[in-house]
Amino acid sequence: MADRRGALVSAASDARVLFGAAVLLALIVAAAAAPLLAPHDPLEQDLLASFLPPAFQAGADPVFPLGTDSLGRDLLSRLIYGARVALTVALVAASLAALLGTALGLIAGYFGGWVDAVISRLVDVWMAFPPVLLSIVLVAIIGAGLHSVIIAIVIIDWTRFCRVVRAEVLVQREQDYVASAVTIGLGRWRILWHEILPNLLPLLLVLITLEMGIAIIVEAILSFVGLSVSSDQATWGGLIQEGRLYIHQAWWIMVLPMACIIVSVLGLNALGDGLRRTLDPVMRR
Amino acid sequence: MSAGYLLKRLLLAIPTLFGVLVVVFVLLRVVPGDPVTMMVGLTASEEDIARLRELYGFDKPIFTQFLIYLGDVLQGDLGVSITRKQEVLGLILGRLPVTLELSLFAMAVALLGGMMLGVLAVYRPGRGGELVADGFSGLGLAIPDFLWALMFILLFGVLIPLLPISGQIDPRLGFEPASGFYLFESLLIGEFAAFQSVLSHMVLPAVALAIPLAAIIARILKSSLQEVMTQDYILLARARGFSRLRIVLREALQNALIPTVTLSGVQFTFLVGGTVLIERIFSYPGLGNMAIEAVINRDIPLIQGIVLTFAVMFIALNLIIDSTYVLLNPRVRHG
Amino acid sequence: MPIHRRQFLMHAGAAGVAGASLNSLLWSRQARAAIGDTLTIAYHVAPPSWDPTVGPSSVNPGLQSIYKSVFDQYIEQNPDLSFGPGILTEWGWNEDRTKVSMTVRDGVKWHDGKALTAEDVVWNLKRVADPETGNVVQVVWASLDNLQVDGNRITADVKQYVPDLFKWMAFLTGYLLPPQYYEEVGAEGFEKKPIGSGPYMVDRYEPNAFLRLKRNPDYWGGEPAFENVIFKFVTDPSSRVAEIESGGSDLTLEVPFEEFDRLKAKDGLVGVATPVSDVALIFFNDTGPMEDLNVRKALVHAVNKKAIVDRLLRGYGVPLDTLEAPEYDAYDPDIKVPYDPELAKTLLAESGYSKDNPVRFKIQATRGYRPKDYEIVQAVVGMWRKVGVEAEIEVYEIAKHFELRAQDKLDPAAFYVWGNASGDPNNSTGFAMFGPSPHSVWDTEDLDGMLAPVMFGEKDDQKRMAGWNKALRYIAENAYVLPLLQYVQPVVHRAELGFTPYTANFVLPHKITVKG
Repeated sequence: MADRRGALVSAASDARVLFGAAVLLALIVAAAAAPLLAPHDPLEQDLLASFLPPAFQAGADPVFPLGTDSLGRDLLSRLIYGARVALTVALVAASLAALLGTALGLIAGYFGGWVDAVISRLVDVWMAFPPVLLSIVLVAIIGAGLHSVIIAIVIIDWTRFCRVVRAEVLVQREQDYVASAVTIGLGRWRILWHEILPNLLPLLLVLITLEMGIAIIVEAILSFVGLSVSSDQATWGGLIQEGRLYIHQAWWIMVLPMACIIVSVLGLNALGDGLRRTLDPVMRR
Repeated sequence: MSAGYLLKRLLLAIPTLFGVLVVVFVLLRVVPGDPVTMMVGLTASEEDIARLRELYGFDKPIFTQFLIYLGDVLQGDLGVSITRKQEVLGLILGRLPVTLELSLFAMAVALLGGMMLGVLAVYRPGRGGELVADGFSGLGLAIPDFLWALMFILLFGVLIPLLPISGQIDPRLGFEPASGFYLFESLLIGEFAAFQSVLSHMVLPAVALAIPLAAIIARILKSSLQEVMTQDYILLARARGFSRLRIVLREALQNALIPTVTLSGVQFTFLVGGTVLIERIFSYPGLGNMAIEAVINRDIPLIQGIVLTFAVMFIALNLIIDSTYVLLNPRVRHG
Repeated sequence: MPIHRRQFLMHAGAAGVAGASLNSLLWSRQARAAIGDTLTIAYHVAPPSWDPTVGPSSVNPGLQSIYKSVFDQYIEQNPDLSFGPGILTEWGWNEDRTKVSMTVRDGVKWHDGKALTAEDVVWNLKRVADPETGNVVQVVWASLDNLQVDGNRITADVKQYVPDLFKWMAFLTGYLLPPQYYEEVGAEGFEKKPIGSGPYMVDRYEPNAFLRLKRNPDYWGGEPAFENVIFKFVTDPSSRVAEIESGGSDLTLEVPFEEFDRLKAKDGLVGVATPVSDVALIFFNDTGPMEDLNVRKALVHAVNKKAIVDRLLRGYGVPLDTLEAPEYDAYDPDIKVPYDPELAKTLLAESGYSKDNPVRFKIQATRGYRPKDYEIVQAVVGMWRKVGVEAEIEVYEIAKHFELRAQDKLDPAAFYVWGNASGDPNNSTGFAMFGPSPHSVWDTEDLDGMLAPVMFGEKDDQKRMAGWNKALRYIAENAYVLPLLQYVQPVVHRAELGFTPYTANFVLPHKITVKG
């Protein structure tokens, strides 16, 4: 029975990974091929065709499969282009946060001593700020825009990587392979780079996947507060904010981007969790 | 031994606090634009601006400015709000209880909901119960609190108007609390109409805040319950023919509770951080709502004060949580 | 609409389950009860400060209704922007406009029971004329000198002639504070417990939550209909809609027009939409591509204001071609800037621009500060794009706008809503376009030379208006600014209420009555 349960769990985790991978793939395709997939220019407006419902409702215009927004722009196209923004923010912000956090985490964990003390204090200081408030204040200071959103996420979330990587390096440092590398006279940076880092990659992959989900949410929050990407570029959070005003007239403007965010984050979380289960030896046990 | 550990934690908090002050100072002194222009009227002359600059010390070297700021903060002087023309500290202390009460209530909701889900998952493993519990916690983790809040507004504001969706209390009640702790105070002095009003206003924002945390608690509890359920004494109880519900609730839960509560304590700070947006959405008059207002008005002293308050509160909360953790888990004392 | 609702319910299924499980814990809110002696207003903006004479709050048009409930103005303003007696019963200039005289109303009392005297009025006038106080139009108040009191009469010398001085006495910052009380408690004490002489007294103020007012039984203008008035501060438009719909509030304003149409069709609710003294415009700054007359004219002719009003604002708005609304003193329906995209293309071609080689610049906009602000800018940018203009929208907070405008650092184009309840062209086109004014964005000498005499020199009102007409035409011809439309203020209230709309944007609780 225990075996059957174990098999079930692993199958379920596989199903989750599959689901997550499918979502990520869909996001990537939508983002990369946005100009090909989108039936319209996401900026093209037609005030005469505003608030058209999606195709499955009465009064729809088949030219706009998911309906239009208050300015008569095609919602499907805006959602597809919104995926582009979401994915850009998610990928760039998560990678940069990973880069910064990992570098500091590696250094702190491996060198220890005062270096570790300084970096750990820095992490403590950072963790003391509520992320939502800090990101809103940061973007208000730097000025709205895609780059500000990314900068804010990196500035706030590098600590996630730093803490985990540092803890993991502390464990790895005591392993036999590191000791033997020291014995054969490899330099410290070399050990860090060639021996320890590769062992951290699976862990980093998991963290980055989860961070991508967080980044999508942060972008939505900032759009929602009105501080994200500022031009009339389509973003999911921006669409939610817009759709909120017309919920009685045109529920689709708010509900569809909400669904996009939820599915993306669900997918990325599932992928991250699934990867952790398969990659993390502790969890696998 | 544990006293020594706590003392060490306490001492480590000092450089952290100092770092927080540096960050807050730097953050808001590098604001592009001129803080003085916002303070004065649009017809202010060059001399007026120069005078104000001197008054606020903006003409001094940045390091001196920091020392002045540090000195002021240590004396409890957070400056005067530009838009409200009142002491920042007083404004913050007036709103802080509102946010604290909301956060604590949300925490209670999260614990209750999360534990129910966790127990459900273990009580009926691999079947409906576990699926429902896993589904809920998956959704709870994927949907951020502000999206829940928006859904609640639509649902309760428009479709089933049962619960109030804005404010903290029905102002018609004429309740005049001495403190900012409305819920606690109204209960204490037996103002039940006010208590009911405050409670009903609190439900939606608290539930929105609680859902993600409840999801986390459900997951932690589920895994620790699962671990406990394989222990010998549980197997023994099973062999003696106790019902599964009784075993889960009476035997296993007791042992799984401590790690759950302590681990979720860490998450509490995230919940407090979440109040910023939630209070805004529900027009709840707490610190977070004031923070966003201050950002919109570019009221720098007020933003500085609020960010600092949140940071100090987080550090204090973490210390408290750490201490309880140490008290509950003697093993950590040696770590 | 029911179809949408059902569908929405399906989509919000997850939330529905969570909500249903809560049901058992709930107690339902009282249904719309009979209107009693308390009026509850779901209001969109809360006063950060209680001093209506200084600082940024004092010039926030949204706060004036609250200030007017607690404080009196020197002169009152009627629903149609005309003026009537307030604390002053008489006012005016002498023949050559070198002196003013004013008569103070008898028997007015401050909320603390003390009498309001002519000395109190003088104290107030002197206070705002002092640059140290930080009044935003200190120049206006400083135009009076040598203020003398004789019983109920005040006389003063005119140091510099300000044609709209008395209009300011009914406009922004023209409020009276109680001198004795103010000096006793100081500025910070006043913020905590403000008193005035207006129709309502502050009973309790919870910042960002609510303001409870109590009737002033001694009010000189007659006792208000409601014993208590509550302003609930609900910043979110959809929450305000929910407030009025669920019966939590008796009146609300600034709701989206789509919701306004829906709400006013409901039983028991009445919707009133009035054109108000708020004009949406796009500032041009005299930098980059805007220095080219062809570009400016193209930008102006490419915008279909009527389509914006009809489609985006659902007809709730009045397209404008100058910064003067029909209710203002200097409005001239004959000044026209027609929508003509072909002309715009030709003009751009003359300067070498086309859809393939578009003019590029940035435009700044607020989002959610005024109804549909961001959407209007998006629509304008969309119309520009069709003639060969690529404008990039940059969103900022209104406070940032003020800061940049004071430093004259706005982008080539910036959206703004200019309020001018005084109706005088000095306070709309004047301050918006006159270079030396800290509020202006376009600063060129040709225009300044034209505006200076009509704004400050001319003492003959008829000649002044003729001068203004010439200036308005000149501005339109040179496309120094892009006027868009006059806003309409939507107010929704319970059918039992008698509500008087004001062109000046006021929602005055003491003017609200119970019908029948």
